[in-house]
Amino acid sequence: MEGCEKYFDILELPYDASVEDLNRNYNYLKALYSGDAIEITALNSDFSNEISRDYLARLDEAYTKVREGMENRKTTSAQRKVEMGEEVRQWLRQIDRFDGPLLKELRCRMGVELEDIHAVTRIQPEYLACIENEGFSAFRAEAYLRSYLIEYARFLGLDSNRVLADYLPRYRAWSEKDRKPDVVEVGYVLTKSV
Amino acid sequence: MENSAHNSTIWAIGGGKGGTGKSFLTSCMGTHLAMQGVRTTLIDADLGGANLHSFFGLNAPRHTLADFFEKKKPLQEITVHSGIANLQMIAAPGASMESESINHAQKLKLFRHIRSLESDNILIDLGAGTHVNTTDTFLLADRMIIVTSPEITSLENMYQFIKSVYFRKLKAIFKTHGLTSLIQDIWKNRSTYGIRNLKELIGHIRQSSPQMRDIFDQEMGGFVLYIVLNQVKTPRDIQIGENLKSICMNVLGLPAIYAGYSRYDEGVKDSINKREPFMLFNRLSPVVGEIRTLTNNIIAGTGVTVQRELRNGGL
Repeated sequence: MEGCEKYFDILELPYDASVEDLNRNYNYLKALYSGDAIEITALNSDFSNEISRDYLARLDEAYTKVREGMENRKTTSAQRKVEMGEEVRQWLRQIDRFDGPLLKELRCRMGVELEDIHAVTRIQPEYLACIENEGFSAFRAEAYLRSYLIEYARFLGLDSNRVLADYLPRYRAWSEKDRKPDVVEVGYVLTKSV
Repeated sequence: MENSAHNSTIWAIGGGKGGTGKSFLTSCMGTHLAMQGVRTTLIDADLGGANLHSFFGLNAPRHTLADFFEKKKPLQEITVHSGIANLQMIAAPGASMESESINHAQKLKLFRHIRSLESDNILIDLGAGTHVNTTDTFLLADRMIIVTSPEITSLENMYQFIKSVYFRKLKAIFKTHGLTSLIQDIWKNRSTYGIRNLKELIGHIRQSSPQMRDIFDQEMGGFVLYIVLNQVKTPRDIQIGENLKSICMNVLGLPAIYAGYSRYDEGVKDSINKREPFMLFNRLSPVVGEIRTLTNNIIAGTGVTVQRELRNGGL
């Protein structure tokens, strides 16, 4: 998203912000600067109606531009998943069951990096890696793994139901047998850009 | 004199309006620093309304800044002990003196002496108003702290104060580059240039030439205001500090850090009336923790972050 920096600055966003960050900051700034909170009213002529109008117009423009940029980024990545070459397709046909190592091999054959998946799904690469190496203890509950798996499978253009049907039983088997209640390998604080 | 300058950090506490708690916070921040074992000196620079000593239960001190100005006594000799270990103070004279009556040479001499004080931290409590003596003292500091309260009049005075400080700073910057009248000329003819506020003035200067932009960016790099919100009563009040960060940048063109807040507490008034040092006698009060937090934030150059969420559809 080159050339977009000034729009991110207007929106007071870091350059790697997500759509949620964008919406939240836009709504916040719009409400603040078009509202009548005392900290705005106290500005008097330093924030006259005219200046306020100009600012809100710039804010709207920045929002539209960044939003467009984010959507383009998504489409570009979405187009990538269609790029499953005939060779990979052939290979995939002879697969009868999806597990972690297989997902990893498929991803590598497709030339997709974990970062690419992260860029679209916002799932932290550590978790994506845990899906691939079946580091089940990273997932506090099946619900987390399940939603990550769906996103992961969709990104690669796979049938997510089929992936879930193959993969989740592996997690459940581990969960019944090996789960130690106090072992947590990866923190659960969702990292968020402030 | 300049050569003997000590490695002390100067804090200035200002904010434009009276009654927002500048002196109270100065006394508390100073007490907190001193209790950490850091040698701290408080200077009451509120020449028209001196009362910093009262926060330590001291009667009108024998020596004050009047002795410095009139009897030419060095600052070390007019320093009085606050009653708390590591904490000294320099009192302001009673009603006999006005900030306006200090001339330029006296002011520069005071600044020189402050810089050479033997103390790790020097906290200067400023009076209300936007007189150049007040703004210049504020600009002397390494840590510039603005105290305000969640009331429209405090905020108005705070904006006026920040603008005066900023304008003074700009003038000083361009003066050292031989462009003394530049800022004033541009500001006087602002309507011709389409400049409506400070932020646009900065934009105009930065765009006028690469040389101007370099001067500005170099001199203003690292310039940051610490905002402290005092007497907050509601979560909405706390949010004001977060909003001020955005407003300072967007409207005044200045970066600000929200160092923290301190809540409204009847106990503060009682403690002040009893003339006892608040931080020592009220350890259970949440205000004590809040002041420690904001002081530590200022030391570390960090701030609090309030979630930018809308409350019930509004701010």
